[in-house]
Amino acid sequence: MTFKEKVVPTIRVADCLLVPIQIDLDDKTVEQLQAQLLAEIQEQRVRAVILDVRMVEVIDSYISYTLSETAAMARLMGCRTVICGIRPPVALTLAQMGIELQGFLVARDLEHALALVWSP
Amino acid sequence: MARKAKELLDIPADDFEMVVRIVREEDIAVARQMAKQLAQGLGFSLADVTKVATAVSELARNIYRYAQTGKIMIRKRLEENGGPTIQVVAVDRGPGIEDVDLVLTRGYTTYERSLGIGLSGIRRLMDFFEVVSEVGTGTAVVVEKRRRKF
Amino acid sequence: MDKSRLEMLAEELGASEQEGKLWRKLLLGAVSGTTGNNLRETLREPLLGLLEELEPTALGAKLKLVIERVPTFPTAELFPLVLELCGELRHDREQAVRKLEDMLSELATPIIRIWTEVLLVPLIGSLDTDRAQAMAERLLERTSTTRARVVVVDVTGVPTIDTAAGGFLIEMFSAVKLLGAEVILTGLKPEIAHTLVKLGVDFRMVAIARDLEDALRQAIAMLEEEKRQRRQIAWGRGSNFPGEGGEHGDI
Repeated sequence: MTFKEKVVPTIRVADCLLVPIQIDLDDKTVEQLQAQLLAEIQEQRVRAVILDVRMVEVIDSYISYTLSETAAMARLMGCRTVICGIRPPVALTLAQMGIELQGFLVARDLEHALALVWSP
Repeated sequence: MARKAKELLDIPADDFEMVVRIVREEDIAVARQMAKQLAQGLGFSLADVTKVATAVSELARNIYRYAQTGKIMIRKRLEENGGPTIQVVAVDRGPGIEDVDLVLTRGYTTYERSLGIGLSGIRRLMDFFEVVSEVGTGTAVVVEKRRRKF
Repeated sequence: MDKSRLEMLAEELGASEQEGKLWRKLLLGAVSGTTGNNLRETLREPLLGLLEELEPTALGAKLKLVIERVPTFPTAELFPLVLELCGELRHDREQAVRKLEDMLSELATPIIRIWTEVLLVPLIGSLDTDRAQAMAERLLERTSTTRARVVVVDVTGVPTIDTAAGGFLIEMFSAVKLLGAEVILTGLKPEIAHTLVKLGVDFRMVAIARDLEDALRQAIAMLEEEKRQRRQIAWGRGSNFPGEGGEHGDI
Protein backbone atom coordinates (compact mmCIF):
# COMPACT_ATOMS: atom_id res chain seq x y z
CA MET A 1 0.00 0.00 0.00
CA THR A 2 1.48 3.32 -0.99
CA PHE A 3 1.68 6.22 1.38
CA LYS A 4 -0.85 8.23 -0.63
CA GLU A 5 -3.56 5.63 -0.22
CA LYS A 6 -3.40 5.75 3.54
CA VAL A 7 -5.89 7.83 5.51
CA VAL A 8 -3.81 7.45 8.63
CA PRO A 9 -0.04 6.95 8.57
CA THR A 10 0.96 3.84 10.51
CA ILE A 11 4.12 2.84 12.31
CA ARG A 12 5.38 -0.67 12.63
CA VAL A 13 6.73 -1.48 16.11
CA ALA A 14 8.09 -5.01 16.41
CA ASP A 15 5.20 -7.25 15.38
CA CYS A 16 2.54 -4.60 16.00
CA LEU A 17 1.02 -1.97 13.78
CA LEU A 18 0.69 1.31 15.60
CA VAL A 19 -2.12 3.53 14.29
CA PRO A 20 -2.10 7.03 15.75
CA ILE A 21 -5.34 8.60 14.52
CA GLN A 22 -4.58 12.30 14.24
CA ILE A 23 -7.68 13.33 12.30
CA ASP A 24 -11.29 13.82 13.29
CA LEU A 25 -13.03 10.69 12.09
CA ASP A 26 -16.10 10.88 9.90
CA ASP A 27 -18.06 8.20 8.10
CA LYS A 28 -15.95 8.18 4.98
CA THR A 29 -12.54 8.25 6.67
CA VAL A 30 -13.44 5.51 9.15
CA GLU A 31 -14.50 3.29 6.25
CA GLN A 32 -11.27 4.05 4.42
CA LEU A 33 -9.34 3.33 7.61
CA GLN A 34 -10.98 -0.06 7.85
CA ALA A 35 -9.93 -0.98 4.33
CA GLN A 36 -6.43 0.37 4.90
CA LEU A 37 -5.90 -1.59 8.13
CA LEU A 38 -7.09 -4.86 6.68
CA ALA A 39 -4.71 -4.44 3.75
CA GLU A 40 -1.83 -3.57 6.05
CA ILE A 41 -2.47 -6.49 8.41
CA GLN A 42 -2.10 -8.81 5.48
CA GLU A 43 0.84 -7.06 3.87
CA GLN A 44 2.89 -6.59 7.00
CA ARG A 45 1.86 -9.80 8.75
CA VAL A 46 1.47 -8.10 12.13
CA ARG A 47 -0.17 -9.87 15.04
CA ALA A 48 -1.68 -6.81 16.63
CA VAL A 49 -3.07 -3.43 15.70
CA ILE A 50 -2.94 -0.64 18.27
CA LEU A 51 -5.36 2.22 17.64
CA ASP A 52 -4.35 5.38 19.43
CA VAL A 53 -7.41 7.67 19.58
CA ARG A 54 -6.02 10.40 21.84
CA MET A 55 -6.75 13.06 19.21
CA VAL A 56 -10.26 11.90 18.34
CA GLU A 57 -12.86 14.22 19.87
CA VAL A 58 -16.08 12.52 18.81
CA ILE A 59 -16.80 8.81 18.50
CA ASP A 60 -20.44 8.24 17.63
CA SER A 61 -22.36 5.01 17.07
CA TYR A 62 -21.35 4.57 13.44
CA ILE A 63 -17.66 5.22 14.04
CA SER A 64 -17.57 2.87 17.02
CA TYR A 65 -19.51 0.27 15.05
CA THR A 66 -17.09 0.43 12.13
CA LEU A 67 -14.11 0.22 14.48
CA SER A 68 -15.61 -2.81 16.28
CA GLU A 69 -16.26 -4.37 12.90
CA THR A 70 -12.62 -3.78 11.95
CA ALA A 71 -11.51 -5.47 15.19
CA ALA A 72 -13.69 -8.48 14.41
CA MET A 73 -12.25 -8.72 10.89
CA ALA A 74 -8.71 -8.38 12.22
CA ARG A 75 -9.39 -11.19 14.67
CA LEU A 76 -10.39 -13.46 11.79
CA MET A 77 -7.00 -12.67 10.29
CA GLY A 78 -5.29 -13.72 13.52
CA CYS A 79 -4.64 -10.24 14.75
CA ARG A 80 -5.48 -8.63 18.10
CA THR A 81 -6.81 -5.09 18.28
CA VAL A 82 -6.08 -2.73 21.12
CA ILE A 83 -7.61 0.72 21.50
CA CYS A 84 -5.86 3.22 23.72
CA GLY A 85 -6.02 6.85 24.73
CA ILE A 86 -9.80 7.30 24.67
CA ARG A 87 -10.51 10.83 25.93
CA PRO A 88 -12.51 11.07 29.17
CA PRO A 89 -15.44 12.99 27.56
CA VAL A 90 -15.59 10.44 24.75
CA ALA A 91 -15.55 7.57 27.28
CA LEU A 92 -18.46 9.15 29.17
CA THR A 93 -20.43 9.69 25.95
CA LEU A 94 -19.91 6.13 24.73
CA ALA A 95 -20.84 4.75 28.16
CA GLN A 96 -24.00 6.85 28.34
CA MET A 97 -25.11 5.75 24.88
CA GLY A 98 -24.57 2.18 26.01
CA ILE A 99 -21.94 1.50 23.36
CA GLU A 100 -19.43 -1.21 24.13
CA LEU A 101 -16.31 -1.37 22.04
CA GLN A 102 -16.67 -5.03 21.24
CA GLY A 103 -13.65 -6.95 20.14
CA PHE A 104 -11.17 -4.47 21.54
CA LEU A 105 -8.67 -4.75 24.32
CA VAL A 106 -8.67 -1.40 26.11
CA ALA A 107 -5.40 0.15 27.22
CA ARG A 108 -4.46 3.26 29.19
CA ASP A 109 -1.48 4.16 27.03
CA LEU A 110 0.98 2.68 24.56
CA GLU A 111 3.00 0.90 27.22
CA HIS A 112 -0.11 -0.81 28.55
CA ALA A 113 -1.21 -1.58 24.98
CA LEU A 114 2.07 -3.36 24.20
CA ALA A 115 1.82 -5.30 27.46
CA LEU A 116 -1.69 -6.45 26.47
CA VAL A 117 -0.50 -7.48 23.02
CA TRP A 118 2.42 -9.48 24.31
CA SER A 119 0.63 -11.08 27.25
CA PRO A 120 -0.13 -14.76 26.71
CA MET B 1 -49.65 13.82 15.68
CA ALA B 2 -49.85 14.46 11.94
CA ARG B 3 -50.53 18.14 12.55
CA LYS B 4 -47.55 18.40 14.83
CA ALA B 5 -45.27 16.75 12.29
CA LYS B 6 -46.27 19.31 9.68
CA GLU B 7 -45.88 22.16 12.15
CA LEU B 8 -42.36 21.09 13.06
CA LEU B 9 -41.40 20.55 9.44
CA ASP B 10 -42.48 24.07 8.59
CA ILE B 11 -40.72 25.64 11.56
CA PRO B 12 -39.00 28.78 10.19
CA ALA B 13 -35.23 28.50 10.01
CA ASP B 14 -34.90 32.20 10.85
CA ASP B 15 -35.66 31.43 14.49
CA PHE B 16 -32.41 29.51 14.78
CA GLU B 17 -28.85 30.72 15.21
CA MET B 18 -27.35 27.97 13.11
CA VAL B 19 -28.83 26.05 10.23
CA VAL B 20 -26.93 23.32 8.43
CA ARG B 21 -28.41 21.77 5.32
CA ILE B 22 -27.55 18.10 5.17
CA VAL B 23 -26.95 17.20 1.54
CA ARG B 24 -23.55 15.53 1.39
CA GLU B 25 -21.80 13.18 3.79
CA GLU B 26 -19.36 15.95 4.77
CA ASP B 27 -22.25 18.03 6.14
CA ILE B 28 -22.47 15.60 9.07
CA ALA B 29 -19.07 16.81 10.29
CA VAL B 30 -20.07 20.45 9.69
CA ALA B 31 -23.22 20.11 11.81
CA ARG B 32 -21.24 18.38 14.55
CA GLN B 33 -18.65 21.17 14.57
CA MET B 34 -21.31 23.91 14.77
CA ALA B 35 -23.07 22.28 17.72
CA LYS B 36 -19.75 21.87 19.47
CA GLN B 37 -18.91 25.54 19.10
CA LEU B 38 -22.26 26.70 20.42
CA ALA B 39 -22.09 24.39 23.45
CA GLN B 40 -18.54 25.51 24.19
CA GLY B 41 -19.55 29.17 23.95
CA LEU B 42 -22.36 28.64 26.45
CA GLY B 43 -19.95 27.19 29.01
CA PHE B 44 -21.04 23.55 28.87
CA SER B 45 -18.64 21.07 30.48
CA LEU B 46 -16.24 19.28 28.14
CA ALA B 47 -18.17 16.03 28.51
CA ASP B 48 -21.48 17.74 27.74
CA VAL B 49 -19.97 19.49 24.69
CA THR B 50 -18.94 16.05 23.44
CA LYS B 51 -22.39 14.62 24.17
CA VAL B 52 -24.14 17.41 22.23
CA ALA B 53 -21.71 17.05 19.31
CA THR B 54 -22.20 13.28 19.26
CA ALA B 55 -26.00 13.58 19.34
CA VAL B 56 -25.94 16.07 16.43
CA SER B 57 -23.64 13.74 14.53
CA GLU B 58 -26.19 10.93 14.93
CA LEU B 59 -29.10 13.17 13.92
CA ALA B 60 -27.30 14.41 10.82
CA ARG B 61 -26.36 10.90 9.81
CA ASN B 62 -29.95 9.69 10.19
CA ILE B 63 -31.05 12.44 7.80
CA TYR B 64 -28.33 11.62 5.29
CA ARG B 65 -28.98 7.89 5.44
CA TYR B 66 -32.76 7.71 5.50
CA ALA B 67 -33.94 10.93 3.86
CA GLN B 68 -30.85 11.98 1.85
CA THR B 69 -31.50 15.67 2.54
CA GLY B 70 -32.74 17.68 5.46
CA LYS B 71 -31.82 20.36 7.96
CA ILE B 72 -30.19 20.57 11.36
CA MET B 73 -31.19 23.72 13.22
CA ILE B 74 -29.57 24.77 16.47
CA ARG B 75 -30.45 27.56 18.90
CA LYS B 76 -29.90 28.47 22.51
CA ARG B 77 -32.70 29.13 24.93
CA LEU B 78 -32.45 30.91 28.25
CA GLU B 79 -34.50 29.09 30.85
CA GLU B 80 -36.01 30.92 33.82
CA ASN B 81 -34.02 29.09 36.45
CA GLY B 82 -32.24 26.31 34.67
CA GLY B 83 -29.44 28.18 32.92
CA PRO B 84 -28.91 28.19 29.16
CA THR B 85 -30.21 25.28 27.10
CA ILE B 86 -29.24 24.12 23.62
CA GLN B 87 -32.05 23.03 21.37
CA VAL B 88 -31.44 21.03 18.22
CA VAL B 89 -34.19 20.37 15.69
CA ALA B 90 -33.51 17.88 12.91
CA VAL B 91 -36.08 17.82 10.11
CA ASP B 92 -36.37 15.94 6.86
CA ARG B 93 -39.07 15.23 4.30
CA GLY B 94 -37.98 11.66 3.94
CA PRO B 95 -40.03 8.47 4.13
CA GLY B 96 -40.93 8.94 7.82
CA ILE B 97 -40.88 6.37 10.59
CA GLU B 98 -43.77 3.93 10.81
CA ASP B 99 -43.35 2.88 14.43
CA VAL B 100 -41.38 5.38 16.48
CA ASP B 101 -41.48 3.29 19.66
CA LEU B 102 -39.98 0.34 17.82
CA VAL B 103 -37.13 2.45 16.47
CA LEU B 104 -36.36 3.63 19.98
CA THR B 105 -35.90 0.08 21.21
CA ARG B 106 -32.22 -0.58 21.50
CA GLY B 107 -30.77 -2.58 18.70
CA TYR B 108 -33.41 -1.80 16.10
CA THR B 109 -32.17 -0.62 12.72
CA THR B 110 -33.40 -0.40 9.20
CA TYR B 111 -29.92 0.24 7.93
CA GLU B 112 -27.69 -2.79 8.03
CA ARG B 113 -24.42 -0.94 8.58
CA SER B 114 -25.37 0.78 11.77
CA LEU B 115 -25.29 -0.24 15.36
CA GLY B 116 -28.99 0.55 15.59
CA ILE B 117 -28.65 2.54 18.75
CA GLY B 118 -28.69 5.87 16.96
CA LEU B 119 -31.96 7.31 18.24
CA SER B 120 -31.99 5.58 21.60
CA GLY B 121 -28.40 6.70 22.10
CA ILE B 122 -29.35 10.31 21.43
CA ARG B 123 -32.18 10.04 23.94
CA ARG B 124 -29.78 8.83 26.62
CA LEU B 125 -27.37 11.68 25.96
CA MET B 126 -29.87 14.54 26.09
CA ASP B 127 -32.22 16.00 28.72
CA PHE B 128 -35.20 16.31 26.38
CA PHE B 129 -36.04 14.16 23.38
CA GLU B 130 -39.04 14.04 21.06
CA VAL B 131 -39.63 12.41 17.69
CA VAL B 132 -42.57 13.34 15.51
CA SER B 133 -42.90 11.40 12.30
CA GLU B 134 -45.45 10.66 9.66
CA VAL B 135 -45.04 8.20 6.84
CA GLY B 136 -44.89 10.09 3.55
CA THR B 137 -44.46 13.50 5.21
CA GLY B 138 -41.19 13.36 7.06
CA THR B 139 -39.56 13.25 10.45
CA ALA B 140 -38.69 15.88 13.03
CA VAL B 141 -36.53 15.19 16.06
CA VAL B 142 -36.26 17.79 18.82
CA VAL B 143 -33.57 17.40 21.49
CA GLU B 144 -32.38 19.68 24.26
CA LYS B 145 -29.55 19.78 26.72
CA ARG B 146 -29.29 22.29 29.54
CA ARG B 147 -26.07 23.51 31.08
CA ARG B 148 -25.43 21.70 34.33
CA LYS B 149 -25.33 23.66 37.57
CA PHE B 150 -21.93 22.33 38.54
CA MET C 1 -29.89 74.66 40.57
CA ASP C 2 -26.62 75.74 42.11
CA LYS C 3 -23.88 73.57 43.45
CA SER C 4 -24.34 74.31 47.15
CA ARG C 5 -27.94 73.20 47.08
CA LEU C 6 -26.94 69.98 45.40
CA GLU C 7 -24.30 69.47 48.09
CA MET C 8 -26.97 69.94 50.72
CA LEU C 9 -29.29 67.50 49.02
CA ALA C 10 -26.47 64.94 48.84
CA GLU C 11 -25.84 65.35 52.56
CA GLU C 12 -29.52 64.92 53.29
CA LEU C 13 -29.72 61.74 51.19
CA GLY C 14 -26.55 60.13 52.50
CA ALA C 15 -27.15 58.07 55.63
CA SER C 16 -23.40 57.54 55.92
CA GLU C 17 -20.42 59.58 54.84
CA GLN C 18 -19.65 57.06 52.11
CA GLU C 19 -23.20 57.20 50.79
CA GLY C 20 -23.18 61.00 50.88
CA LYS C 21 -20.05 61.04 48.73
CA LEU C 22 -21.70 58.80 46.17
CA TRP C 23 -24.81 61.00 46.02
CA ARG C 24 -22.68 64.13 45.61
CA LYS C 25 -20.81 62.55 42.75
CA LEU C 26 -24.03 61.41 41.11
CA LEU C 27 -25.83 64.73 41.46
CA LEU C 28 -22.90 66.89 40.35
CA GLY C 29 -22.23 64.55 37.44
CA ALA C 30 -25.87 64.60 36.38
CA VAL C 31 -26.12 68.36 36.07
CA SER C 32 -22.57 68.92 34.81
CA GLY C 33 -23.87 69.46 31.29
CA THR C 34 -22.28 66.42 29.66
CA THR C 35 -24.51 64.28 27.48
CA GLY C 36 -24.72 60.88 25.81
CA ASN C 37 -21.95 58.40 26.48
CA ASN C 38 -19.93 60.86 28.56
CA LEU C 39 -22.86 61.35 30.90
CA ARG C 40 -23.40 57.62 31.18
CA GLU C 41 -19.76 57.13 32.08
CA THR C 42 -19.89 59.82 34.80
CA LEU C 43 -23.07 58.42 36.35
CA ARG C 44 -21.99 54.82 36.09
CA GLU C 45 -19.55 54.64 38.98
CA PRO C 46 -21.57 56.43 41.70
CA LEU C 47 -24.74 54.62 40.64
CA LEU C 48 -23.05 51.23 40.85
CA GLY C 49 -21.81 52.17 44.31
CA LEU C 50 -25.31 53.16 45.42
CA LEU C 51 -26.80 49.96 44.01
CA GLU C 52 -24.36 47.96 46.09
CA GLU C 53 -24.79 50.13 49.19
CA LEU C 54 -28.59 50.46 49.39
CA GLU C 55 -31.65 48.25 49.43
CA PRO C 56 -33.62 48.56 46.14
CA THR C 57 -36.67 50.13 47.81
CA ALA C 58 -34.59 52.67 49.71
CA LEU C 59 -32.66 53.60 46.58
CA GLY C 60 -35.91 53.90 44.62
CA ALA C 61 -37.43 56.26 47.20
CA LYS C 62 -34.30 58.42 47.28
CA LEU C 63 -34.06 58.59 43.49
CA LYS C 64 -37.71 59.67 43.36
CA LEU C 65 -36.89 62.46 45.79
CA VAL C 66 -33.95 63.53 43.61
CA ILE C 67 -36.10 63.64 40.48
CA GLU C 68 -38.69 65.74 42.29
CA ARG C 69 -36.17 68.18 43.75
CA VAL C 70 -33.79 68.54 40.82
CA PRO C 71 -35.74 69.56 37.71
CA THR C 72 -32.74 69.26 35.41
CA PHE C 73 -31.98 65.70 36.47
CA PRO C 74 -31.55 63.50 33.30
CA THR C 75 -34.14 60.88 34.24
CA ALA C 76 -34.41 59.46 30.73
CA GLU C 77 -30.68 58.70 30.68
CA LEU C 78 -30.72 57.27 34.17
CA PHE C 79 -33.41 54.68 33.63
CA PRO C 80 -31.68 52.42 31.06
CA LEU C 81 -28.40 52.81 32.92
CA VAL C 82 -29.93 51.51 36.16
CA LEU C 83 -31.36 48.49 34.35
CA GLU C 84 -28.03 47.78 32.70
CA LEU C 85 -26.14 47.98 35.99
CA CYS C 86 -28.67 45.72 37.71
CA GLY C 87 -28.08 43.15 35.00
CA GLU C 88 -24.32 43.39 35.46
CA LEU C 89 -24.59 42.98 39.21
CA ARG C 90 -26.85 39.97 38.84
CA HIS C 91 -24.42 38.39 36.38
CA ASP C 92 -21.49 38.92 38.76
CA ARG C 93 -23.46 37.40 41.59
CA GLU C 94 -24.44 34.38 39.50
CA GLN C 95 -20.81 33.86 38.58
CA ALA C 96 -19.79 33.97 42.23
CA VAL C 97 -22.52 31.49 43.17
CA ARG C 98 -21.44 29.15 40.36
CA LYS C 99 -17.86 29.26 41.58
CA LEU C 100 -18.94 28.46 45.12
CA GLU C 101 -21.13 25.61 43.92
CA ASP C 102 -18.22 24.18 41.93
CA MET C 103 -16.03 24.39 44.98
CA LEU C 104 -18.66 22.75 47.16
CA SER C 105 -19.13 19.95 44.67
CA GLU C 106 -15.40 19.30 44.62
CA LEU C 107 -15.14 19.33 48.39
CA ALA C 108 -18.13 17.01 48.73
CA THR C 109 -16.58 14.24 46.62
CA PRO C 110 -12.84 14.05 47.02
CA ILE C 111 -10.77 11.79 44.80
CA ILE C 112 -7.93 10.34 46.81
CA ARG C 113 -4.79 8.61 45.61
CA ILE C 114 -4.49 5.82 48.19
CA TRP C 115 -1.72 3.82 46.54
CA THR C 116 0.55 4.13 43.53
CA GLU C 117 -1.84 4.13 40.58
CA VAL C 118 -4.90 3.48 42.77
CA LEU C 119 -7.62 6.13 43.23
CA LEU C 120 -10.34 6.07 45.88
CA VAL C 121 -13.70 7.83 45.44
CA PRO C 122 -15.97 7.81 48.47
CA LEU C 123 -19.42 8.65 47.09
CA ILE C 124 -21.75 10.56 49.40
CA GLY C 125 -25.39 11.52 48.93
CA SER C 126 -27.76 10.82 46.07
CA LEU C 127 -26.45 9.88 42.66
CA ASP C 128 -29.02 11.34 40.28
CA THR C 129 -28.02 14.97 40.47
CA ASP C 130 -25.90 17.41 38.51
CA ARG C 131 -23.35 17.01 41.27
CA ALA C 132 -23.00 13.30 40.54
CA GLN C 133 -22.45 14.00 36.84
CA ALA C 134 -19.79 16.57 37.67
CA MET C 135 -18.13 14.07 39.98
CA ALA C 136 -18.06 11.43 37.23
CA GLU C 137 -16.41 13.92 34.87
CA ARG C 138 -13.79 14.81 37.46
CA LEU C 139 -13.09 11.16 38.22
CA LEU C 140 -12.57 10.40 34.53
CA GLU C 141 -10.22 13.35 34.10
CA ARG C 142 -8.21 12.35 37.18
CA THR C 143 -8.03 8.72 36.11
CA SER C 144 -6.72 9.83 32.75
CA THR C 145 -4.18 12.39 33.95
CA THR C 146 -2.79 10.25 36.79
CA ARG C 147 -2.85 7.12 34.59
CA ALA C 148 -4.47 5.25 37.44
CA ARG C 149 -4.77 1.51 36.95
CA VAL C 150 -7.44 0.86 39.55
CA VAL C 151 -10.34 3.02 40.76
CA VAL C 152 -11.95 2.02 44.06
CA VAL C 153 -15.52 3.33 44.39
CA ASP C 154 -16.86 3.31 47.95
CA VAL C 155 -20.64 3.71 48.20
CA THR C 156 -20.89 3.49 52.01
CA GLY C 157 -22.16 7.09 52.07
CA VAL C 158 -24.91 6.52 49.51
CA PRO C 159 -28.28 6.10 51.25
CA THR C 160 -30.15 4.24 48.49
CA ILE C 161 -29.51 3.12 44.95
CA ASP C 162 -32.50 3.01 42.62
CA THR C 163 -32.56 2.12 38.92
CA ALA C 164 -31.45 5.62 37.89
CA ALA C 165 -28.56 5.66 40.36
CA GLY C 166 -27.63 2.09 39.38
CA GLY C 167 -27.64 3.14 35.74
CA PHE C 168 -25.45 6.11 36.56
CA LEU C 169 -22.93 3.88 38.34
CA ILE C 170 -22.86 1.39 35.45
CA GLU C 171 -22.21 4.23 33.00
CA MET C 172 -19.45 5.62 35.17
CA PHE C 173 -17.82 2.19 35.56
CA SER C 174 -17.98 1.52 31.80
CA ALA C 175 -16.41 4.91 31.12
CA VAL C 176 -13.55 4.22 33.57
CA LYS C 177 -12.96 0.86 31.89
CA LEU C 178 -12.84 2.57 28.49
CA LEU C 179 -9.83 4.45 29.80
CA GLY C 180 -8.16 1.11 30.45
CA ALA C 181 -8.49 1.13 34.25
CA GLU C 182 -10.13 -1.44 36.52
CA VAL C 183 -12.97 -0.70 38.95
CA ILE C 184 -13.46 -2.13 42.43
CA LEU C 185 -16.81 -1.44 44.09
CA THR C 186 -17.13 -1.53 47.85
CA GLY C 187 -19.45 -0.45 50.65
CA LEU C 188 -22.68 -2.02 49.39
CA LYS C 189 -25.02 -2.30 52.35
CA PRO C 190 -27.35 -5.33 52.65
CA GLU C 191 -30.46 -3.23 51.88
CA ILE C 192 -28.83 -1.88 48.76
CA ALA C 193 -27.64 -5.30 47.64
CA HIS C 194 -31.22 -6.47 48.12
CA THR C 195 -32.78 -3.70 46.04
CA LEU C 196 -30.13 -3.95 43.33
CA VAL C 197 -30.84 -7.63 42.74
CA LYS C 198 -34.60 -6.98 42.81
CA LEU C 199 -34.14 -4.17 40.28
CA GLY C 200 -32.00 -6.35 38.07
CA VAL C 201 -28.96 -4.08 38.27
CA ASP C 202 -25.88 -6.24 38.20
CA PHE C 203 -22.36 -4.96 38.51
CA ARG C 204 -20.81 -7.88 36.72
CA MET C 205 -18.25 -5.72 34.95
CA VAL C 206 -16.52 -4.68 38.16
CA ALA C 207 -14.77 -6.40 41.04
CA ILE C 208 -16.61 -6.24 44.38
CA ALA C 209 -14.83 -5.91 47.71
CA ARG C 210 -16.19 -6.54 51.24
CA ASP C 211 -14.64 -3.43 52.71
CA LEU C 212 -11.97 -0.85 52.02
CA GLU C 213 -9.21 -3.11 53.29
CA ASP C 214 -10.30 -5.91 50.99
CA ALA C 215 -10.55 -3.39 48.11
CA LEU C 216 -7.01 -2.20 48.65
CA ARG C 217 -5.73 -5.77 48.84
CA GLN C 218 -7.47 -6.62 45.55
CA ALA C 219 -6.13 -3.46 43.93
CA ILE C 220 -2.56 -4.25 44.90
CA ALA C 221 -3.02 -7.83 43.67
CA MET C 222 -4.11 -6.41 40.29
CA LEU C 223 -1.01 -4.23 40.11
CA GLU C 224 1.22 -7.18 41.04
CA GLU C 225 -0.40 -9.39 38.43
CA GLU C 226 0.26 -6.82 35.73
CA LYS C 227 3.87 -6.44 36.85
CA ARG C 228 4.35 -10.20 36.82
CA GLN C 229 2.98 -10.43 33.29
CA ARG C 230 5.24 -7.66 32.15
CA ARG C 231 8.30 -9.41 33.63
CA GLN C 232 7.26 -12.60 31.91
CA ILE C 233 7.04 -10.80 28.58
CA ALA C 234 10.46 -9.22 29.05
CA TRP C 235 11.94 -12.57 30.05
CA GLY C 236 10.22 -14.45 27.25
CA ARG C 237 11.38 -12.03 24.62
CA GLY C 238 14.88 -11.60 26.00
CA SER C 239 16.84 -8.97 24.20
CA ASN C 240 15.83 -10.24 20.79
CA PHE C 241 13.39 -7.66 19.61
CA PRO C 242 11.76 -9.37 16.68
CA GLY C 243 12.14 -7.58 13.40
CA GLU C 244 9.78 -9.76 11.43
CA GLY C 245 6.25 -10.63 12.40
CA GLY C 246 4.39 -13.85 11.97
CA GLU C 247 6.96 -16.16 13.50
CA HIS C 248 5.91 -16.28 17.11
CA GLY C 249 4.19 -19.58 17.30
CA ASP C 250 5.16 -19.92 20.94
CA ILE C 251 2.69 -17.31 22.13
